[in-house]
Amino acid sequence: MNNPNSVVYIVDDDSSVRDAISNLLESVGLRAQTFGSTEEFLAAPRSEAPSCLVLDVMLPGMRGLEFQEMLKKNGITIPIIFITAHGDIPMTSKAMKAGAIEFLAKPFPKEDLLAAIHRGLQLDETNRAHYSELVSLQSRFEQLSPREKEVMNLVVTGIINKQIAGQLGISEVTVKIHRRQVMEKMNAESLADLVRMSDKLKIQMQK
Amino acid sequence: MTFQPTDPACYNPTPPVVPLRDLLFMETRGLSPKAMSLARSFSLAFVFVLAALVPELFIAKHLFPYPFLYPFLAAVVASAWFGGMAGGLIAVILSIIAVDYFFIPPVNSLTFSAAVVLYLASFVVCALAASWVSSAMRRSDLALKEARDQLEARVVERTAALMKTEAELTRLSRVLSMGELTASIAHEIKQPLTAVVMNGHASIEWLSASPPNLEKVRQSTEKIIQDGTRASTVLSRIRALFKKETSIKDWLDINDVIQELVVLVGTEAQKQHVSLHLELAPDLPKLMGDRVQLQQVVLNLMMNGIDAIAAADKSTKELLVGSWKQGEEEIGVRVEDTGVGLDPENAEKIFDPFFTTKPHGIGMGLSISRTIVESHEGKLWATTRPAGGTIFQFTIPVQSPKLG
Repeated sequence: MNNPNSVVYIVDDDSSVRDAISNLLESVGLRAQTFGSTEEFLAAPRSEAPSCLVLDVMLPGMRGLEFQEMLKKNGITIPIIFITAHGDIPMTSKAMKAGAIEFLAKPFPKEDLLAAIHRGLQLDETNRAHYSELVSLQSRFEQLSPREKEVMNLVVTGIINKQIAGQLGISEVTVKIHRRQVMEKMNAESLADLVRMSDKLKIQMQK
Repeated sequence: MTFQPTDPACYNPTPPVVPLRDLLFMETRGLSPKAMSLARSFSLAFVFVLAALVPELFIAKHLFPYPFLYPFLAAVVASAWFGGMAGGLIAVILSIIAVDYFFIPPVNSLTFSAAVVLYLASFVVCALAASWVSSAMRRSDLALKEARDQLEARVVERTAALMKTEAELTRLSRVLSMGELTASIAHEIKQPLTAVVMNGHASIEWLSASPPNLEKVRQSTEKIIQDGTRASTVLSRIRALFKKETSIKDWLDINDVIQELVVLVGTEAQKQHVSLHLELAPDLPKLMGDRVQLQQVVLNLMMNGIDAIAAADKSTKELLVGSWKQGEEEIGVRVEDTGVGLDPENAEKIFDPFFTTKPHGIGMGLSISRTIVESHEGKLWATTRPAGGTIFQFTIPVQSPKLG
């Protein structure tokens, strides 16, 4: 079952629809917060707990799909479940390609909505776990000195200390000292561990 | 020379007892129409000659002792007018008998001398000529009247048919523009329906909780009723626009007419990324009008505006609907769009039937809108919006409640 702190955000300009969805979620024990527009949603403080977004496509102001794009550009990774009373196929496929959890045509069966919400919350929980790991990794990496960062980037390519010393123009002993520092500061248990960390950081940097 | 009439009634100066009643009696016995008309001509001639005879008798006795034939000529003309040539002939015969009997010596007998024959013959010729002219005139008069009546009946018939066609066309165009709104109508019904379904499920969940949360069930049920009512309101509004109804004029607030449409057209506008603004003047006097037809006009103008904006594809996409009043006599509505604008050459042509600039249009909307506004004694016109786009406006006079 989902994290008891998880929260579902509902953004729909039709108050009776958003209240009804919120009522249903509440009746099955989920926390829900409703918003009349994307602007309202952005202005409100968001919970640190796993969450997902039930978003009407046809909102006044910023449209659902535009909003999805904007969130993605800003690196906000909340899972989105689109709902619409218009629903056409191009819109659906565009939303799904952009990473929506589900695209539901109003009026939708309760089971479809709840299933999508559960999937969304689970995904967010996983995302959050990955994210917090990445954040701590990054903060550890930032603690390295510039020279240590250079050493780490060469170590993970698999070359030996002698070669590193040659490339950086320092003694092999100094390389060894730096290397120990890197392993300690990054909290890596083995070289393989350090390589994995480096990969994750590189992926993040490419983003 | 002795004149021998075949019918004793012919020379009887005293009228038979109520001859018209006899005629009516004969009619009930089913005489042929020809005999009927002859009998009618005869009795008419009899009455007219008698009407000439009585004053003539008085004149000859007291004022002027010579037979004076002009009253009889008048009787002949009148008989020919009302009874045709036959009536005229009968009147001539009756007049001669009467003149000979009462005025030509020997008085009170039907004998007359050769000298009088010329005198009577000139009368007969004049009388016959007059009677022919009179009956011919009457015939052409009747023919003219009949032709006019026929024409009038045809005009009435064709006008009625035309009005029926026009009403049907108006309705068809309304249905067509509603057709363009199908998606928005569906949206407006799906919204409350979604809320109904969600609240229904929630009610079941609240009921199956232990203990059941009855307060939440009550709240959910109330919402279901509200949303059900909302959906049915949308439906009945649309149904009114589809209905095959003859024009019914009633007192209405033009702002209500606009606002009822905003729900439907607003969704359509949203779909086309058009922002819809209302500038409705408060406290407008009510006007006498057909709600459905006026709604059709506003709907047409709004849909045209949205189409024009979509066709222009500019960065500002705004549709404004406003109402205003000019004193207490006139109410105006304007629909402004930021669309492609109006070619000044077409400013009047757009109101012609079948004139359209849209690829899928049939060009009836504005023509019908103008007809509707004019049937409310109002005006509908288009002008170029200075900042780009078009302004459509119509004004309708507010009739005094006493007249309505």
